[in-house]
Amino acid sequence: MEASIGRRSSPTQPKWRKVAYGGMQPGFQDNHTDESFLEDMIMNASVVKRDLLKVMLDSVSISQYVCIVALVVLVWTYTLRSSFNENSLMLLDIILLGAGFFVFQLTAEMLSFDLLLSYVLKIFFFITGVYFLSPIYHTLTRSISSDSIWALTASLLVLHLFLHNYSGSTVKAPGALENPTFTSNISLNASIVASLLIASRLPSRLHVFAIVLFSLQVCLFAPLVSYCIKKCSFRLHLCFSFGLMAATLFFVYRLHGLLFVLLSGILVFVNLLGPYWLIRIQEYKFEINGPWDEAKLCFNLTE
Amino acid sequence: MSKQEKHRILMVSDFFYPNFGGVENHIYYLSQCLINLGHKVVVMTHAYQNRSGVRYMTGGLKVYYVPWKPFLMQNTLPTFYGTLPIVRTILIREKISLVHGHQAFSTLCHEALMHARTMGYKVVFTDHSLYGFGDVGSIHMNKVLQFTLADVTQAICVSHTSKENTVLRSGLPPEKVFVIPNAVDTAMFKPAPGRLSNREIVIIVISRLVYRKGADLLVEVIPEVCRLHPNVRFIIGGDGPKRVRLEEMREKTLSSRSSRYVGSLTEAFCIAILEAASCGLLTVSTRVGGVPEVLPDDMVVLAEPDPNDMVQAITRAIHILPRIDPQEMHTRMKTLYNWHDVARRTEIVYDRALRCSSQNLLERLSRYLPCGAWAGKLFCLVMIIDFLFWRLLQLWQPDRNIEVVPDIHLTNHMQDKTARDSNMYEHLR
Repeated sequence: MEASIGRRSSPTQPKWRKVAYGGMQPGFQDNHTDESFLEDMIMNASVVKRDLLKVMLDSVSISQYVCIVALVVLVWTYTLRSSFNENSLMLLDIILLGAGFFVFQLTAEMLSFDLLLSYVLKIFFFITGVYFLSPIYHTLTRSISSDSIWALTASLLVLHLFLHNYSGSTVKAPGALENPTFTSNISLNASIVASLLIASRLPSRLHVFAIVLFSLQVCLFAPLVSYCIKKCSFRLHLCFSFGLMAATLFFVYRLHGLLFVLLSGILVFVNLLGPYWLIRIQEYKFEINGPWDEAKLCFNLTE
Repeated sequence: MSKQEKHRILMVSDFFYPNFGGVENHIYYLSQCLINLGHKVVVMTHAYQNRSGVRYMTGGLKVYYVPWKPFLMQNTLPTFYGTLPIVRTILIREKISLVHGHQAFSTLCHEALMHARTMGYKVVFTDHSLYGFGDVGSIHMNKVLQFTLADVTQAICVSHTSKENTVLRSGLPPEKVFVIPNAVDTAMFKPAPGRLSNREIVIIVISRLVYRKGADLLVEVIPEVCRLHPNVRFIIGGDGPKRVRLEEMREKTLSSRSSRYVGSLTEAFCIAILEAASCGLLTVSTRVGGVPEVLPDDMVVLAEPDPNDMVQAITRAIHILPRIDPQEMHTRMKTLYNWHDVARRTEIVYDRALRCSSQNLLERLSRYLPCGAWAGKLFCLVMIIDFLFWRLLQLWQPDRNIEVVPDIHLTNHMQDKTARDSNMYEHLR
């Protein structure tokens, strides 16, 4: 093994220099590895040291959203079994709209009358649009077999959960830091398509209208509402999440035992096992930076 | 040193003439200088449009343009075992003793090195680029490189920064990696005979106009420099996606002794700087990658890749400019960089490679296992299948049936090296 000759072995031997010109350096082979080898390498420069409790608290927002989606699927199941009729669904829609608006009011500044009017107008247009489109949705998948519908819905929901942006909101909330990302748009589209597929299996147009309205309300506004709650107070967010989880587990237990086990397994994994595993494998993180990296342009490209 | 045995070397890469670039130049010049030293060199690359088959270049350099078309960025389609028959045929026909692959980005190189190792030949690999570690493309590239370099005999890098980068990417022991920089053909790049007028300073920029070569830096720097020094003229050569931005900037700023500007964002070894110095031009460059090692401090002005710093560097260069003597720079470059020196140092690497012991299949497989929990076993599987395929080929087309090519000894090839140096490019077509 080549001994790195950092010190001079004889007074006349020059020091090794990290240069490429001048041919072979006298007294050194070309594969000489100096002591300064890899001294410019920087390891794990931007790696954040994570705390287990904080990661667990952050993962509560993931399990909260999983519970919301589980509740939506519950409503769909009961509607498909005709346990809910259209009047109770419409009532549910109105309650949700009111509650969501109330929560939004909690965290936003005092609304002026004009802003309130513009919101009401937009919601009115939205509801009218869904109402007039519901006959189309009613007959949308008549020629497709039920198995395909359930399979497609399940895969779309999984895709939706996978790509969802848990840290922010797809609908850009006022005062939110960043724009919606590409994957969060895909997840939103997946959830909308899933709800339309389910809606097309329902008996009457009013059913379709109610379910589509319900699903769209949840898909579009649930992230916004939970973002507002989180911004308002973290304790409120925690209470809301745990309440929601308890309610979901209760209702799923009433529906089907196996699904209850599955859901509670998912919640345990997301909240407890997931953070622990993440912290365990963090020690293997090895981020390497050095003079070979592409230089970052420190100015913004103005196109 | 003169009693060394002469080697028979196969250079493999996707990148060779008629394509133009750093790797192509390197292979060509290195091959010519090795032929001068008495070795036999054969080059293997893929076909370029109609250029397919065997061609001869200056000095008897035989080039095999293997009839595979490139599919992406001058790379042949990676078929793992498809190249085994042709590589085996070439190795046996030319009685090759050593295979030298170039450039980590070349799929043909990786495949040829894999087959050469299966067949028991000694293998040397030269890496010409720097890669990061974070993005998906780099991660895959590094894994492929780890596979190839797990069993390479020796490796060569073109700068010390490149050596650090390669050692980190592939996990090779540093003693196996030699640093042999590129060189420049000083006979091709001479200073202009007359001096330009003292009043006007011409700054030349020649590069591909892409993000990686710092074209955006250029867009920020040029208006500022023109504002500070009204007697400066920029000449920009090259083309690329960022040309539109440069044209826009030019419209907005409307408005011999020369200096040269190179603003790349990453560079393993910058030959453009050497060519500029050989022409007697003062160079301004960004301090990235291997650039600080390339020239002594009085021949190049370095700056951080930041527009303000670059403008200051250009100002410093303009002040140094009157003291520069192009002819003296050119003469100094001749001593600093020399292709014959590169060839001699490469010859030392070849001698060491050939002195290494041969290993059988099991010993070689044990080198692949540490590459990763899953990857190690996958690599072993790939090599085992390659080995079996090779044995099958030996049964189907035995070695003795492959005709060995007789050596053509070109007389008077040691004659008048300087004349040949300047004529190297004329013999291309």
